[in-house]
Amino acid sequence: MKKGGYLEISFGWLFALIVGAFILFLAVYFATSIINQGQQEQDAQTGKNIGILLNPLEIGFQDAISPSILDFPSETRIYASCTESGDFGTQYIKISQKSFGKWTDTNIKVPFQNKYIFSEIPVEEKEFMVFSKPFEMPFKIADLIYILPLDKKYCFKDSPEDIEYEISYLSKGNLFYENCTESMIDICFSSDNCDVNVEYNKGAYGEEGNGYVQKEDSKLYFEGDALMYAAIFSDVDSYECNLIRLNKRIEKLANLYNSKADFISGKCDTNLKSDLSLLASSARTFRDSSDLTILKLISDEVKNKNEDNIKCRLW
Amino acid sequence: MKNNKGQLKIQQMAFMLIAITLFFVLVGLFLLSFKLSSIRTQATLLEEESARGYANKLANSPEFSCGDSFGTAEVNCIDADKLMTLKANIDDFEELWGKGITNIKVIRVYPKQESGECEGNLNDCNIITLKESSEGFGASSIVSLCRKEVLEGKSYDKCEVARLIVNYEDWRE
Repeated sequence: MKKGGYLEISFGWLFALIVGAFILFLAVYFATSIINQGQQEQDAQTGKNIGILLNPLEIGFQDAISPSILDFPSETRIYASCTESGDFGTQYIKISQKSFGKWTDTNIKVPFQNKYIFSEIPVEEKEFMVFSKPFEMPFKIADLIYILPLDKKYCFKDSPEDIEYEISYLSKGNLFYENCTESMIDICFSSDNCDVNVEYNKGAYGEEGNGYVQKEDSKLYFEGDALMYAAIFSDVDSYECNLIRLNKRIEKLANLYNSKADFISGKCDTNLKSDLSLLASSARTFRDSSDLTILKLISDEVKNKNEDNIKCRLW
Repeated sequence: MKNNKGQLKIQQMAFMLIAITLFFVLVGLFLLSFKLSSIRTQATLLEEESARGYANKLANSPEFSCGDSFGTAEVNCIDADKLMTLKANIDDFEELWGKGITNIKVIRVYPKQESGECEGNLNDCNIITLKESSEGFGASSIVSLCRKEVLEGKSYDKCEVARLIVNYEDWRE
């Protein structure tokens, strides 16, 4: 006697369906979590690899190190963030890559205490141009590293001749000072209605210039071309944060040279101890880029004294 | 009789499902162990690359390099006077190289000197140790080791050949 309208499912079928669905759910769940974990691992590893790849850029002396290209297999976002805490502050690199049309989400940040990276946050592209320039105040502090997306074109309008020369050397088809088009990011040295405006005062006797970069209603002051490029290509907060980190290193190095002056005092006299103490204390009280002018004055004084003392140079 | 057949089928199905579950669990465990071993290999490779990178980079970092102290600036030149000062103040620079670097040592290789750790006078020793450990992957590079010396009341620059040894162990915050 069958009743119409009932779906007859035996216990065996019902059992198989429920357990089968459970097994499938577990399989899909574990597969998804393994893929996610794999992507996070890939991002962290890429961050670490970038750090290693940047090492050769940190042995510069006077000039900018010729640029290299970072080429990723897929669209990549590089988050080069910075914190001031600790003896030297920290530069973090976090990577997110596009996978199946979605950006991977990872909280793994690779820390570096001895790197100073200047870029937008995030900087996004498949290929990046990376170059570096040594920063001195008055001794070498570090090599500043710049990361630019290769598809963005920058036009340095009315820039000084030595900047034009350097740009033509650095360019990988993305930096121009003539034949600019409307799609490019305008960096102007003589007008004030461009994407980035630079007030550049030429240095005397072949020295690099100083001034400020007007960006997002903020004035980022610089001393020397290394910091000028940093201010142009960097995020505002990141620039100020890395400047504070650089000053922490200036303080430590000034103290180190002060101790070295003591160590070699039996062999020669440097006559720099009080100046180095002053440099260390002004680096310690450094607050933002507007303090660079006073720091540079002290630095120039120390630099001249050291250069004049040919027999007993500290650096 | 009909009931018994049905029970047998359910038992067969249950065993089959348990077998399938066990199969997936075993495959999962195999994949997991394969993945873990590949992570370990990658970590070791990164350690090696980092150690090599640091061995080349450290000699040219401001805390080690000669700069213009001994004439014009040159690559892979370590200022021994600065290194001795750095050794005395190593706590101030502990954070700079991160927790990954476990060993930094400079050994003078030419000309041959008496062996031993340098404690103040650089003439009768051949090793300057900033950090010491054998953990992690080790890499080295050949460098010039320069210092100021005095002869008959006049100071002069003295450069010798040394080996910079760095050990790196992967570490993540």
